[in-house]
Amino acid sequence: MTCLICGNPYQSMATWTKIFLYELDSSTCIRCLEKFEISQSTIDFTDFLGTPYEGAVDSVYCLYTYNEAMREYLHQYKFLQDVALAKVFARKLQQAFHTKEGIVVPIPMHPEKLVLRTFAQVDELLNAAQISYQQLLIKTKSETQGKKSKKERLKTTNLFETIQTIEATNYILFDDIYTTGATIHHAAKILKDAGAKRVDAITLIKG
Amino acid sequence: MNEQLQQFLTGRIWLREHTPFPREVIDAHIDSGHIHLKPGITTYSKSNLFWQSNKRVCNRCHNMKPSLFQTFNCARCNKVCTYCRHCIRMGRVSSCSQLLLWDKQHARGANVHVFAWSGQFTAPQQKASEELLSSVEQNQSHLVHAVCGAGKTELLFPAIFASLQAGKRVCVAAPRTDVILELFPRFQKVFPNTAIHALYGSAPDQHGFAELVLATTHQLYRFEQAFDVVFVDEADAFPYHADETLQKAVTKAAKQNAAIHYVTATPTESLKTTNRSILTRRYHGHDLPVPRFDSLWGYARQLNKGKIPHKLQKWINEKIDSKTPFLIFLPTIEVLENFPGDLPRVHAEHPDRKELVLQLREKKIPGLLTTTILERGVTIENVHVAIVGAEQPIFTSSALIQISGRVGRSAQYPNGDIVFFHHGISREMDKAQDAIEGWNRS
Repeated sequence: MTCLICGNPYQSMATWTKIFLYELDSSTCIRCLEKFEISQSTIDFTDFLGTPYEGAVDSVYCLYTYNEAMREYLHQYKFLQDVALAKVFARKLQQAFHTKEGIVVPIPMHPEKLVLRTFAQVDELLNAAQISYQQLLIKTKSETQGKKSKKERLKTTNLFETIQTIEATNYILFDDIYTTGATIHHAAKILKDAGAKRVDAITLIKG
Repeated sequence: MNEQLQQFLTGRIWLREHTPFPREVIDAHIDSGHIHLKPGITTYSKSNLFWQSNKRVCNRCHNMKPSLFQTFNCARCNKVCTYCRHCIRMGRVSSCSQLLLWDKQHARGANVHVFAWSGQFTAPQQKASEELLSSVEQNQSHLVHAVCGAGKTELLFPAIFASLQAGKRVCVAAPRTDVILELFPRFQKVFPNTAIHALYGSAPDQHGFAELVLATTHQLYRFEQAFDVVFVDEADAFPYHADETLQKAVTKAAKQNAAIHYVTATPTESLKTTNRSILTRRYHGHDLPVPRFDSLWGYARQLNKGKIPHKLQKWINEKIDSKTPFLIFLPTIEVLENFPGDLPRVHAEHPDRKELVLQLREKKIPGLLTTTILERGVTIENVHVAIVGAEQPIFTSSALIQISGRVGRSAQYPNGDIVFFHHGISREMDKAQDAIEGWNRS
């Protein structure tokens, strides 16, 4: 096999879980995978206490920290638009979603941004991990969060709207990166206001 | 017609989204027929009664490996799109992207070239240089086969100057960025009036039309039918000889019927040229240091246990005591990273590679552990070299010759220790030793 990241050949181990449990292959060599650092930090929502977003999100789970290897990964995946790299975290994501129950809702991109990027990076991560999801939200504002301060991010009116009816059940939001938490809280509030019982969130990276 | 656009695009094949020109300007030149468009990826379908097979080609890098194409649902064209992963670092080329080529009225250089070189050739250099010049004038491909440290770059100067004066566009390509970075200031001094661009990954923007282009072979993916004369320096270096698309890139960048000339210390059999010159002496006239073989049985196991084999430790201590700078070549990054002790080490992904080599040159550090990344292009005065695991397949005879060529390059220190520590002697090691001894005899 050829590693998706470094392009070097590597041996993919045949394991029982791969044969019988259809475990996904990440198509990445161990050396490259080890460079990603598992996130240990727990996320609290003290920033959102006393704001309208208090209690919108029930829990957030982030898989990895934002380190040098992850910065390079995101550069190639999002900026150079290498869609193939969605497969790198397929197995880890599958395991992460296995432990939670609910309807998976990816954080959407603005339609104009989507045309420029040519693919929705969040949806592709889920596709690669073979996780079924529903697109229940649309993004109404095209500006990016990255260029704004934390205060500005919280002040802006909600970034999302629902496009289908929301049931009184569990939802799991999914995004690529959790930085200040504004995006996830905006999305969770919309779902809660529309009647969701519980909203958890999973992100690939803790920024 | 926009002159800047003409100068920029002449000879290039460029991704539309990445041009530094406004969209309207590009559109106007497409309408006027100055720019010709090519799709990013071409698919050739072959089908018969039972099956259909698609063969895809990236029109920029000419990659055809099926494993390096990825298909996805494209939100830009709303179709299933395919893109090339091989040249993705230069901006993604997909089925719905457009490549721009300049079609009419090619830009030309307007400089009066000056040749400002005051160096002296030795008699064999003079002969090789004249042979190369006559091949270039007759547009016949030429191979300069010169040992490491023979002064290869200088040999090119007269031929390049003659080509420039004849109004030709010249390219000097090398597989490695380090080589281009080293050549650029030298060429600027020798051809002070010539517009020269140095192209490599993360090179700064350079404006205008360059009559002389120094480029890594990778950058030639972005040229098509551009050069009247092409020289490939270090033509045997990784990754050029191993990557077929790089060889195609060189042919593609040259104009049809333009001869391609090669300069190398270790020509591979696949390099076929009409003419050939051989230089077996270093510029200082001394013999090449001949590698000696020394057994280091079971070195891999000892290194795994975190111990440096006794003989190797002794060699290192000797060099440290006599304050001789040394390089130790190791077969893999894993061995390099797990090597016991705190000697500084470099490999391809190492961020301060250049910095550490500089420190070794200035004797701030006693020695350096390295992978084959430093096999060529580095000159360190009075350096001594050891290869650990010289029998491993990564050390081909050409790699071994190149590594041996690091030793004794300066006229003050024409000798030096080059030792192959091995766990059994390989054919490649014998081949390398025979070749070096052969050059010394001739």
